[in-house]
Amino acid sequence: MNTARAELRKLLTLPSLRWTAVLTWAGTALLAYAYGVTQPRGDAAGLAPLGYAQAGFLVLGVLTAAAEYQAGGQIRTTLIAMPRRLPLQGAKDLTLAAVTLPVAAATAAISTLPAGGGTWTPAATAYLTLTTLLAAAVTGIVRQALPGVVLLLGLYFIAGPLLRARYGAVAAYLPDTAALDPARGAAATITWTLAALVLAAVTFARRDAAQG
Amino acid sequence: MVSPVRAELRKLLGLPTARVALVLGTLLAPVVVLLNAPYNRRALAAGTLSDPTQLGLRELGVGLIGALVLGVVVVSSEYTSTGDDAPGARQLTATLTAVPHRLRLLAAKTVALVLVVAAQAAVTAAGTLALTQALHGEYVPLPAPERVAAAILYWVLTALLAYAITLITRTGIVPLTLLILNSTVVSVSYLLTKLTDLAAYLPDIAGAHMFLRTDGFPVELAPVTAGLVMTAWVITLLAVGAVLFHRRDA
Repeated sequence: MNTARAELRKLLTLPSLRWTAVLTWAGTALLAYAYGVTQPRGDAAGLAPLGYAQAGFLVLGVLTAAAEYQAGGQIRTTLIAMPRRLPLQGAKDLTLAAVTLPVAAATAAISTLPAGGGTWTPAATAYLTLTTLLAAAVTGIVRQALPGVVLLLGLYFIAGPLLRARYGAVAAYLPDTAALDPARGAAATITWTLAALVLAAVTFARRDAAQG
Repeated sequence: MVSPVRAELRKLLGLPTARVALVLGTLLAPVVVLLNAPYNRRALAAGTLSDPTQLGLRELGVGLIGALVLGVVVVSSEYTSTGDDAPGARQLTATLTAVPHRLRLLAAKTVALVLVVAAQAAVTAAGTLALTQALHGEYVPLPAPERVAAAILYWVLTALLAYAITLITRTGIVPLTLLILNSTVVSVSYLLTKLTDLAAYLPDIAGAHMFLRTDGFPVELAPVTAGLVMTAWVITLLAVGAVLFHRRDA
């Protein structure tokens, strides 16, 4: 419990996370307005801004995980206070999910409600939260913010759309299909996120913590 | 002026991230041409591909991520700390000790970045267009030299845009997120063009019109106008970045 409380405090006091959340909301509102003007109301128009808003959640996950490995080596202090690595990683994942959930719910509401697609709000909230966890897990392995952002955004926004455009069948296996088509991509999102979380936990438990 | 430029070139090319960006950015577009070849061949034979004369130039776009990363790391690497044991120490301190005149340093950095990105863009453009010729030569004519030059200019200006934003924000996360999000298939700028005609003057939309023509745009900028619009964006942001770099505590 102490570990979770400590991790929660660390998350809530990172200024970059607050900025990311505020900018994500602002961007989502702008996109929701743009889609509202140009497209008919409905599920598709409600989910469309989320395809872009998920960038904010990827960044959120990257910044959370990379904060421990920034200059100053906060991870060393963390591990002195809590040397059992697997429970620590579990506490980190749970607190990140808990902090992300309200941010994701607000973003999903901003995106879906104006278009009358409110039935998808819970699914979108879950998707954005899982995406944040996936990004945090990947960055836990990469351990640096900039490569993490390039890798994840490159996969989600450049490689993903290219693959989907040419090989439509592959869409069901990509982690980000669920953003626009929740019924089709949900299983892939959950599987990818769980796999990344397990891999990150195993890596964290076995690797030298202070090695860049 | 020569020795600071040489120093900045060495620093840039010594960064692992920059090396990855150079290699991946150069290979990405030709690989996409190869992967898309079966699809494009069928579409070309059936005559369903829109505007086949632009095929090679259009496929160049994916490699742009390399130029973006180069533009970002040339600045952000100065601000990352040099090690765990001295978290306050940044490379910028050493750089400014060597070249205390900040605007001169900035000029050297800009020249180094322009040289590297222009070389990368030239190689990528040559490789991508040659590959397109080899694969689809019977349908796709070689684009005019001035359009290829404009595409290379677009790469350089995009890298400078990322560079200028990083000078202002001092972190690479913001420019990378913004610019990668905008290089996706349906970019945010493209969405904004449906909202207001003014969005046609955003740097990425205007810049692409230097060498690509797209139908159905509210405002169709002539190539030279498009180039001037994008250059104006880059110069404005670079000026803001330069003033901040000059005045702010390093």
